[in-house]
Amino acid sequence: MTYAIKVDHLSKKYTIQHGASSGSLKELVEHYRRKIQKKISTKVFNNTVVDPFEVTTEDFWALNNVSFEIRKGAKLGVMGRNGAGKSTLLKILSRITEPSSGSIRIDGSISSLLEIGTGFHPELSGRENVFLNGAILGMKRVDIQRKFDEIVEFSEIEQFIDTPVKRYSSGMYVRLAFSVASHLEPDILILDEVLAVGDVAFQKKSLKKMQDISNSGATIVFVNHGIEAIKQFCDQAIVLQKGKLVLNTTDINQAIELYTGETYDPK
Amino acid sequence: MQIIEAQTIAKDYWKNLWKRRELLYYLARRDLIVRYKQTFVGVAWVVIKPFLTMVVFTVIFGQLANMDSKGLPYAFIVYAGVLPWFLFASLLATTSDCLLANSGMLTKVYFPRLIFPINIFIVSMVDFVVSFSLLVAMMIWYQIAPSWQIIFFPVFILMTAAFALGLGMIAATLNVKYRDFQQLIPFILQLGIYLSPVGYLNAIVPRKWEVIYSLNPMAGIINGFRWCLAPDVMPLYWPGVIFAAVVSITFLIIGIKVFRAAENSFADTI
Repeated sequence: MTYAIKVDHLSKKYTIQHGASSGSLKELVEHYRRKIQKKISTKVFNNTVVDPFEVTTEDFWALNNVSFEIRKGAKLGVMGRNGAGKSTLLKILSRITEPSSGSIRIDGSISSLLEIGTGFHPELSGRENVFLNGAILGMKRVDIQRKFDEIVEFSEIEQFIDTPVKRYSSGMYVRLAFSVASHLEPDILILDEVLAVGDVAFQKKSLKKMQDISNSGATIVFVNHGIEAIKQFCDQAIVLQKGKLVLNTTDINQAIELYTGETYDPK
Repeated sequence: MQIIEAQTIAKDYWKNLWKRRELLYYLARRDLIVRYKQTFVGVAWVVIKPFLTMVVFTVIFGQLANMDSKGLPYAFIVYAGVLPWFLFASLLATTSDCLLANSGMLTKVYFPRLIFPINIFIVSMVDFVVSFSLLVAMMIWYQIAPSWQIIFFPVFILMTAAFALGLGMIAATLNVKYRDFQQLIPFILQLGIYLSPVGYLNAIVPRKWEVIYSLNPMAGIINGFRWCLAPDVMPLYWPGVIFAAVVSITFLIIGIKVFRAAENSFADTI
């Protein structure tokens, strides 16, 4: 097998409701009351009334028939404007939500980082949070134990590792969170704009860490609005537009051109 | 090779759950550390709440209303009812809120969501053991010796848990879409403590109302709790207990089914 991820005719449909926020039982009851009322008025009194508050639904395709392949070791950049379907694609890859149709085949262990520090608890110490966060991200306990010193050293907060996280500065917090995440070592890593954390020096360090991971042969799927980062990292790019795949190329510059061409109207 | 398709989350569900048992360990550890960290306050709260409830109920039902306690100390009878009720109440309240409380995790990381209710079960059991120690102390103080029926005690604990978790999972699922249940559950619990035989013995309920009274599964469960502790004084109302057992297991099964069926869309609808 040469590919790490193969996406095949992937679609995701959301149903949007108009006229209702669908947040309470009251609205649900109200919805059915109107429906019945309408039925009665049509059948019994034979007059069709247009109900201004009627709830109508509309299908919205967040992803529409998307197919592409990522070969092993490739660094794929996913580009597209807001609402193009990047997050939906990432969420499906991470199994947070299911596709409506189509399939994804994945060869190898996969970890996804849609956010750093997921599940961090403010009352717990840095040490406890490293283990908790690692477990949430799917790391094995023995692996966390083995890498623990490395994680702490990388985060540069050795001194405060037994201090509750609520007393950390926001910089310390994200450094520790990033540090756990960057020690995942899966075959395939999915990243959603989590690189830009900490001060300049730490950003440099984390970029270097990502480079190391990338050089070790891992496949990386990378979603970032920063063109520089994509230029630096990726050797393959796809561009999404309103849920459809409009470009799949190894020519990063071509993808960037298409993407920026959309963002900034030349006029 | 992993395949992601529509409906694939359902495949290998229990296997995945078992694979993530370490996460379960760390979540339970988190909840216990956070609660018991400032040791005195943490542990104390778990005992103080049922203890004060016992004091108030003993005064109101035992002293003021002077209800029948069949010769046993009224405080003991009340505490034997308060314990299962608090177990039920905390399980139901936290389970029904577990998805909203963890929505940050829900939208960012995948793992079988049943981990949340299982975690709540584990943490509640630890709390139960802590608050149970007071009951043991009371039995020693009042010199009430347990008989062999005490071996059925775990059965009634599990019945309480099954009923509360089942209801809680249904409420949690509905809570994702209809937030009304956040208001409803505390209200049900507030009324339920009086509708269940917490502050009084179910023996005082008139014969003709016995059947209707037993429609509340907690009536049968609490009756069973007390029977385990003092079987000679507090007889078991069998139809009520059997009904409670059937309802508890049914709710647990329905709860798991409802929760699992909606699980794929939690992240989309929350």
